[in-house]
Amino acid sequence: MENKLSRNLFMIPYALWIILFVVSPILLVVYFSFFDIEGNFSFINYKNFFTPVYMQMTFSSFWYAFLITVLSLLVAYPTAYLVTRTKHKHLWLLLIIVPSWINLLLKAYAFIGIFGTYGAANSFLEFIGIGSRQLLFTDFSFVFVAVYIFIPFMILPIFNALDNLNPSFVYAAKDLGASKWVTFRRIILPLTMDGIKAGCQVVFIPALSLFMLTRLIAGNQVITLGTAIEQHFLVTQDWGMGSTIAVFLIFIMFIIIGLTGFRKRGA
Amino acid sequence: MTTSAIIQFNNVTKNYDNNPPILDEVSFKIERGKFYTLLGPSGCGKTTILRLIAGFTEATSGEIYFNGKKINHIPANKRQVNTVFQDYALFPHLNVYENVAFGLRIKKMKKQAIDAKVKEALSFVNLHGYEEREIKNMSGGQRQRVAIARAIVNEPEVILLDEPLSALDLKLRYQMQYELRELQRRLGITFIFVTHDQEEALAMSDEIFVINKGKIQQSGTPNDIYDEPINRFVADFIGESNIVKGTMIADNLVEFGGKRFACVDRGMDPNEPVEVVIRPEDMEITTEENGMLNVTVDSQLFRGVHYEIGGRDQEGNEWLVQSTKKSVVGEKIGLRFDPESIHVMRFNETEEDFDRRLDSYSEEEANGK
Amino acid sequence: MNNFEGFTLEWYRELFHDTRLLIIVLNTLVIALLSALIATIIGVLGAISIGNYKKRHSQNALLAVNNVLIVSPDVIIGASFLILFTMAGIQLGFYSVLLSHIAFSIPIVVLMVLPKLLEMSPTLIDAARDLGASRWDVLTKVILPYISPGIVAGFFMALTYSLDDFAVTFFVTGNGFSTLSVEIYSLARRGISLNINALSTIMFLVTIMMVIIYYYLTQRSGTKGVGFRR
Repeated sequence: MENKLSRNLFMIPYALWIILFVVSPILLVVYFSFFDIEGNFSFINYKNFFTPVYMQMTFSSFWYAFLITVLSLLVAYPTAYLVTRTKHKHLWLLLIIVPSWINLLLKAYAFIGIFGTYGAANSFLEFIGIGSRQLLFTDFSFVFVAVYIFIPFMILPIFNALDNLNPSFVYAAKDLGASKWVTFRRIILPLTMDGIKAGCQVVFIPALSLFMLTRLIAGNQVITLGTAIEQHFLVTQDWGMGSTIAVFLIFIMFIIIGLTGFRKRGA
Repeated sequence: MTTSAIIQFNNVTKNYDNNPPILDEVSFKIERGKFYTLLGPSGCGKTTILRLIAGFTEATSGEIYFNGKKINHIPANKRQVNTVFQDYALFPHLNVYENVAFGLRIKKMKKQAIDAKVKEALSFVNLHGYEEREIKNMSGGQRQRVAIARAIVNEPEVILLDEPLSALDLKLRYQMQYELRELQRRLGITFIFVTHDQEEALAMSDEIFVINKGKIQQSGTPNDIYDEPINRFVADFIGESNIVKGTMIADNLVEFGGKRFACVDRGMDPNEPVEVVIRPEDMEITTEENGMLNVTVDSQLFRGVHYEIGGRDQEGNEWLVQSTKKSVVGEKIGLRFDPESIHVMRFNETEEDFDRRLDSYSEEEANGK
Repeated sequence: MNNFEGFTLEWYRELFHDTRLLIIVLNTLVIALLSALIATIIGVLGAISIGNYKKRHSQNALLAVNNVLIVSPDVIIGASFLILFTMAGIQLGFYSVLLSHIAFSIPIVVLMVLPKLLEMSPTLIDAARDLGASRWDVLTKVILPYISPGIVAGFFMALTYSLDDFAVTFFVTGNGFSTLSVEIYSLARRGISLNINALSTIMFLVTIMMVIIYYYLTQRSGTKGVGFRR
């Protein structure tokens, strides 16, 4: 009895946290999505969400998130593979991970400097004879910076998957006559699929809802779902519409998690 | 007589949810100052008995007495017993000294008293001078000793040992068997030792409980259990044995392998079907003409001290013989054995009936002479 | 960055004369330390509660709930917390930011502590009980020391989460209160300034220091005792 009581006492703060900060915010968002800007109950927000304006925004948001995920994966997989081959692999991994410890704002801010009219990127372009051009506030710079920021998050799970791969499998495949490509295609890739899925999950969901980078790096060239939420909550004060987009994002999030499996981010 | 019983189980049953019971109506008494072994295959319920005594789990029904007091609902930290765990369960964040001192510190004993007791306990297990070592820098055998020191330092009336030697290699295990037995003699307290290793049980115990499927199959001294197993399970589990089907023709006469033999067992019905046990080391190899039972050799292994020879008699029963003499696979050999080497077991005989039957004719013998 | 004319500490001096900025730095640190501390306490209690469930699937179900805030995009956390605080009548400012930071740091603490807890052999607890320890003794003398590396790691993760956070804070910060990330954002929206450059350098150095301290701590707890070998 004493055992059960103390166990329940332990549970209280954590249970309160779950109720107050996990469950109720989601319920509140769903609740608010049914109110228009005047505070009347209606489905107007959902009706609006399925108009071309929002649909196009949703589509472009998905397109950029997809682009960012694929590009990060293309960079991250070979990098993770090379890192597992190196002698001091954990040191190398650490060096790759360190940038992710630095405040996102600082990284974004540094890129404003680099991509600015008088920044390092333009000096370089001028030096090789292309001449300076508008880099900041373009979709190119947005994707570039986003990929740069997300790469460590993509590398980590893939590195872990590759690192946990029993090398005997690779030897066994070679022993059975598989070429390098076949070994990769039939053995390494399927066995590290979980790492790839985890990496895509931790990149795609945040990429879909980026809002700070869109403002600082992309100017207003790129409007993602995240930006729209921020706009509705903090600028136009249309919480109902903002909540509707948030409900949609939460919905998408659960679908993606369902597809890629539920795991913790990063470590 | 109950004064010497330190632990008593009365019809104790333990089951989880609606699964079949792990312990089924178990009753026994444990006397003060002896070395007991609970012996049985894994999952037989022997560790559950230990956990019930230690207080880590509660009985579903039945009573458990300690020094005459019912202890069913007394929590583990209030019981006068200490446990040596299979994985030793030494606290990795504490060094050797602090591990041993843990129980004394809980009791809020004075520093000097703790110091003296810990040092004494450590010298008892030959670990004097290891006080400041971290647990992870100790070998398996040393950890074992720390675990024992941590238990004995609290001066419990009973020490429970849960397969404490199973993680050690063979040589160290033999050495620790001697040390544990010696330690129990010196301390004079009750040890309850759980193992699945029958050799270990035979070598160390005053008293063995053979357990299978949640029931105590047989209890007794190592000699009793080895020489007079109550049923097929005990005979098979303890030592190597040849078990064949036979028929009890009359008192002191049993038939198996197509022949009749004189034996020393009595008290059964005429022509009762029985099982017959003969230990491999009790049989002697001779020529076919001199054999009481003839078998054809079909396997032979060299075991170092002896050869292990396997063969079949004319009825197809398998026989295993240990012999220093070599034989040839495919040959026919004869086997000889004494009437005393034959042990006859009835089917489904309870331990009480078994004891009563044995007592009846051993008394007869005593009276007759 | 432009018109580079030589090194100067001018911008740092200006930075430290700027009392508004100094207050923001202090705010950021106080929020980070307080939220990490409280999140660690609640997170450890939560991990112990989850660990108490012996069935694997109830543990996994609780972990799934635990991880919701980790996988949720920052914008959604920020927006939903904004609704929450407004509905609860909590004024936006120090307390709303503190509560948010505690809220999103708790799950990471749980994730750092739980593996240590699950790795602990249950016989250790039996052994402590066997040696006379009460439930409180078991907690303070066995469980907490055993999981302390996880607790330290969790605390540091919570600290970095709090120092790093921009998006959630941005939503719940209100007018009068600001943290460094939010301040840099609003300055950066107005363009490059050398003032932010100096600020960034300080933040960068703090981050690097945190990384070093963190690795030192985990390294030490990982190899604890080797130095004491005799």
